[in-house]
Amino acid sequence: MLRLVVSRLLYAAVILLGVILVVASLVKLVPGDPVDVIAAGNPGMSVQDMDTLREKMGLTRSVPEQFVAYLGNAVQGDLGTSIRQGVPVTSLIADRLPATGELAFWTLLLAFVIAIPLGIVTALRRDSWLDYAGTFIAVLGVSMPGFLLAVLMILWFSIELRWLPASGYRGSALASIGRAVAERDIGIFWNAFRYFILPSISLAFVLVAVNARLIHSAMLEVLQQDYITFATAKGAPRLTIILRHALRNALLPIVTLAGLQMGALLSGTVVIETVFAWPGIGRLAVDSIHVRDYPIIQAVVLVSAALFISLNLIVDILYRFIDPRVRND
Amino acid sequence: MTEAVIVPAAARPATERRFLGSLGRSAKGLTGLFLIAIVVLCALFAKSIAPHDHAQQVIEWRYAPVVWQEGGSTTNLLGGDNMGRDILSRTVMGAQVSIQVALIVVSIALVFGSTLGALAGYFGGIVDTIIMRIVDFQLAFPFLLLALIFMAVLGAGFATLVMALAFALWINFARIVRSETMRIRTLDYVDAAITMGVSQLRIIFTHVLPNVLPAVLVVATLDIALVIISEAALSFLGLGVQPPTASWGVMISEGRDFLYEQPWIVIAPGIAVLISSVGINLFGDFLRDYFDPRLERM
Repeated sequence: MLRLVVSRLLYAAVILLGVILVVASLVKLVPGDPVDVIAAGNPGMSVQDMDTLREKMGLTRSVPEQFVAYLGNAVQGDLGTSIRQGVPVTSLIADRLPATGELAFWTLLLAFVIAIPLGIVTALRRDSWLDYAGTFIAVLGVSMPGFLLAVLMILWFSIELRWLPASGYRGSALASIGRAVAERDIGIFWNAFRYFILPSISLAFVLVAVNARLIHSAMLEVLQQDYITFATAKGAPRLTIILRHALRNALLPIVTLAGLQMGALLSGTVVIETVFAWPGIGRLAVDSIHVRDYPIIQAVVLVSAALFISLNLIVDILYRFIDPRVRND
Repeated sequence: MTEAVIVPAAARPATERRFLGSLGRSAKGLTGLFLIAIVVLCALFAKSIAPHDHAQQVIEWRYAPVVWQEGGSTTNLLGGDNMGRDILSRTVMGAQVSIQVALIVVSIALVFGSTLGALAGYFGGIVDTIIMRIVDFQLAFPFLLLALIFMAVLGAGFATLVMALAFALWINFARIVRSETMRIRTLDYVDAAITMGVSQLRIIFTHVLPNVLPAVLVVATLDIALVIISEAALSFLGLGVQPPTASWGVMISEGRDFLYEQPWIVIAPGIAVLISSVGINLFGDFLRDYFDPRLERM
């Protein structure tokens, strides 16, 4: 087991080094001179400014030199300075990461709170109208782009009904829980939380669809197993059988795919944050691409890839803990 | 790699009949095909179907309501947008853009990915290791992030969009072709061909690839939906197809600021995106069940 963890860690580290190599040489891949492109949008730049910028972005160094320099700085927590804002990129990302993280938290919570019961019920009531509704939601879920759902929901819930804000962010909802409890005022929590509702639903829809289907088919398979028949014969209550014997095993495939779903979530936040003017790293990436602020783009790519790799690593190891059959392989 | 290779000429009608019979019994397959047909017809005959020129701006058409609302007229069935352009015409033209991008992207990814996947699966060893390490490495980047990196490096535009999406998708083909090739490689008829002294390139192209085709077809179909959605998403972000081209993503992005005045700038292309992706996903599901019920969806 320890050997496995170590080998997985090493593998993740190698991939991460590769990511840093790509990220460090990103500016080199831009056709022509990226500084010329930036200067074209800033008539005030002098030739000296341009040379300084070339130096800063590592355009004067060879790819291996740039890799070593970037890696060295990154290890010390220095991911460069924003070209446009003159602020350290690390602090920009640190400012934005909590908003993205909390959005992901509510999204996953919402996704599982809906997907698990939906998957169970559609499996138990096979070929009922509920099952067909589940299939319909599944097809719609994989076919509906998040940004489209977002815009349609803004149209309905914000413009037609005026229930929820169309965009914006009013601080962490999780952090407001403490204050809301202390002052016995649910309004404090609601004021922050209502900004999370539409973005989380937009992101969660596809996850609900995919996971409900996964649980559905896993449940169908598990329910045919001998140990379920045995538990039934033994006279165990139906609810116990479903929740304790069946569901626990049916959740396994979800864990396998959790890593991949994180990738989908990371991709999704880029678009959804732009729709809802959300101050997270996804929108930071898109904004930076528009103004060609390369240090930020590099850092966002690095941070996202690092997050994705570590989440997959955790899932991979976790899975072996949960499922003894895989552990012994 | 023509169809004739997959099935002997004499057996073809029977296979075709089996396929059509299976399609006829599948509500999923038929619905999917019907929805795809609508979009493809719109794309093929966009110029004839669109009631107006998609770029024509008429000041009286600004925010013209849809035909069933008060003040609506048959001139603009789905109303007019913020610049006085006919929404229906733009939505129909959008089909052309989407289908074009999807077909180009998936073709490039298919050829490139399948070839590398076949090489990896057939030769194994160092070739396999190198190709699969590249695939593994690329998996470290979420799909859209990979496309965004391309946009950041090469700048937004049609060519970049196509390259970015093709680059993000080739691994899907490489992985499925590799595993299928490895399976087929061990079958008796491949051994027989080797014994007969058939060249390796010929074995790959005439014995292995045609048998991988069904699996590739399923991936290609489902990936077309993925490309249509991704193209719309990137164009929505302003990083894909550029205005004034009538792309669905561009329309939804432009219409976002005028939801109050004319929601149909967004609703019409939104429905179009949904029709395409629901249709393709349904048909792709049917194809997968038909060819190989064991093939799991990623």
